[in-house]
Amino acid sequence: MTHKITASHIGRVIWSEFKPALLASFWICLLAFPIMTLSINPTNQSFKFSLDRMPYLALGTFVLSILWRFFLKRRAFIGITKAVHQSEGLPEDLRKGPKPSWLTVVKASRYRRQGIYVLLAIMAILPFISSPYTVNVMVTALIYVTLGLGLNVVVGVSGLLNLGYIAFYAIGAYTYGLLNHYFGLSFWVCLPLGGLTATLMGLLLGFPVIRLSGDYLAIVTLSFGEITRLVLNNLTVTRGPRGISYIQPAGFFGIDLNGAPKEFLVNYLRVDPAMDINKIFTYFIILCLVIVTIIFVFRLENSRLGRAWLAMREDEVACQAMGINRTRAKLTAFALGSTWAGLAGVVFASQITFINPASFSFLGSILVLSIVVLGGMGSIPGVILGAIVLSALPEQLRFFSQYRMLLFGALMVLMMVFRPGGLIQSTREVYIHKTNGNGKGDGNGTARLEALTGAPKPEATGERP
Amino acid sequence: MTKTMLELKGVRTAYGNIEALKGVDLHINEGEIIALLGANGAGKTTTLASITGLVPPKSGTITFEGEDIRGARTENLVKKGLIMVPEGRHIFPGLTVLENLKMGAYVLKDQSGIKKDLEYIFNLFPILATRSKQSGGTLSGGEQQMLAISRSLMGKPRMLLLDEPSLGLAPIVIRDIFDTIRKINTENGTTILLVEQNANLALMLAHRAYIMTTGLITLSGTASEFLNDENVRKAYLGG
Repeated sequence: MTHKITASHIGRVIWSEFKPALLASFWICLLAFPIMTLSINPTNQSFKFSLDRMPYLALGTFVLSILWRFFLKRRAFIGITKAVHQSEGLPEDLRKGPKPSWLTVVKASRYRRQGIYVLLAIMAILPFISSPYTVNVMVTALIYVTLGLGLNVVVGVSGLLNLGYIAFYAIGAYTYGLLNHYFGLSFWVCLPLGGLTATLMGLLLGFPVIRLSGDYLAIVTLSFGEITRLVLNNLTVTRGPRGISYIQPAGFFGIDLNGAPKEFLVNYLRVDPAMDINKIFTYFIILCLVIVTIIFVFRLENSRLGRAWLAMREDEVACQAMGINRTRAKLTAFALGSTWAGLAGVVFASQITFINPASFSFLGSILVLSIVVLGGMGSIPGVILGAIVLSALPEQLRFFSQYRMLLFGALMVLMMVFRPGGLIQSTREVYIHKTNGNGKGDGNGTARLEALTGAPKPEATGERP
Repeated sequence: MTKTMLELKGVRTAYGNIEALKGVDLHINEGEIIALLGANGAGKTTTLASITGLVPPKSGTITFEGEDIRGARTENLVKKGLIMVPEGRHIFPGLTVLENLKMGAYVLKDQSGIKKDLEYIFNLFPILATRSKQSGGTLSGGEQQMLAISRSLMGKPRMLLLDEPSLGLAPIVIRDIFDTIRKINTENGTTILLVEQNANLALMLAHRAYIMTTGLITLSGTASEFLNDENVRKAYLGG
């Protein structure tokens, strides 16, 4: 049985969607009528009425609407076909295992390790051949990777919706900012302190929300984020909205990186003379932090604690019935998730050397949450990709100037409709079943049994990414 | 021989001002299957919740193997071998069948023991072996119930609390599951407290039974007594 989309299918879909698309276009025209037809001239306080732009709008929305409906139909159709295939050939399919996605192919590849080395080498060379602007964007992107991975622990793995995550980022940044401003403490002292403070604040937030979940939790965390920002905005010690300026960048054994080392880099490695070498150093710090985060988070997810988090996300009643201490699981999720925000905050403060409460608005929390959702909840490579896309994309879209955020929003909507699981979906442990020599199971399940319970792990192919 | 496994004395539990249990007394001996029967709202599930500490009782005593467990944390009870299969199955829908089962052994650390238990489970329910890498949410209702029971077995229970295992299942599937429950009881000597609406089936399986009405145990006796008692048949078994 083959399921292919033919031209007649397409024709039929377009025909059946003609009326709704027309309706949608009409509705949009009606909605946008005032802003599209009237233009106000503030200098002589007059306005102009013109219908010139309406036909374009109508035609544009009509075509988009048809396309939109067509892709939705196609998606549903593919979903059904898959399901039909599965139900038709279930035993066969099960024996073969799932069709490997490109990700599994990459992961199972023999060259995986080499691939990681090459990637690391590229990452190491990159700042020396880029412009100062690019390095800055890259540092920001990596900071968001750290934030995304941290929030992923809370939202993706543990299923606790945290809408005030940026507060912990602020706490980390202010820990460094304040300690540096008042006591002259260095970056390296403040990095662990910032992480620790954020962890403690995470615990502090965790206690009142132990009994909450879902919407209520979201509201409490949202308030926490706003309270933090308002406190920073109103305390004298934090210098209010003026913020803290002249924060020292991270030091490198007390050597002035813009002196002799810069001369060397510019002369011999042809680094851009406009480059602030401190920025390159910050880049390497955040790169190391990201690597540590990835290793740590990966370990964590596959640990006992990680399994407790998964259970808590999946079903709170069953989680308790399994003998998991829900209170502890919740608190550790909050605390450990916040740690990374704190660390990222310290790096952020050293990167831009100036912080004020406006840098930590609610929008920041939403951006990090979008990174997790867009990348793929619970999936580490997904979150990394999501962070890079969401922090670099707005930069790339600068070309569209004022329509930047509009386009950004549209892209997000499209993403969520066509790939609701995120860019790289989190995969569960997959076990390929071992079969007998002739390639067929013996039917009563013993062959499968061996595969599942037998030798330590030869059959386990893809684990969680 | 007849060692008491679990004993409830005068247990009172309330949700706010509404008292759901008004002094429940019951005891379960080691190796027994006990059916706890009664109409909706009689307090059967609350009794289980009180035992497992999900809803702490206001007063009364609960002892498990001679130890006072009233108000104990659920996770500590699981470690002691008192494991509940919650009503409505509550499997982990996003995790695979295998992961669900491994989650059941969360409190255990003996890896080779866990492997052996897995093997035992896949013999008990071969269908779970074929479905092992499917996510739990894609299983049928009967398979989910099998998974829920299996998952609790992975925690090596001394005593199993089953809350309405027949809920929403076809009669033929129910029979399968009940057969397995009996098997678990006879093979492993696991004590079982079974809460059921389907009184007929539960009584066929159980050694003894308690009947609850509005927060109190109103009748108790052996299963065969109940099955033969004219009054009980009329009131609870539909004639």
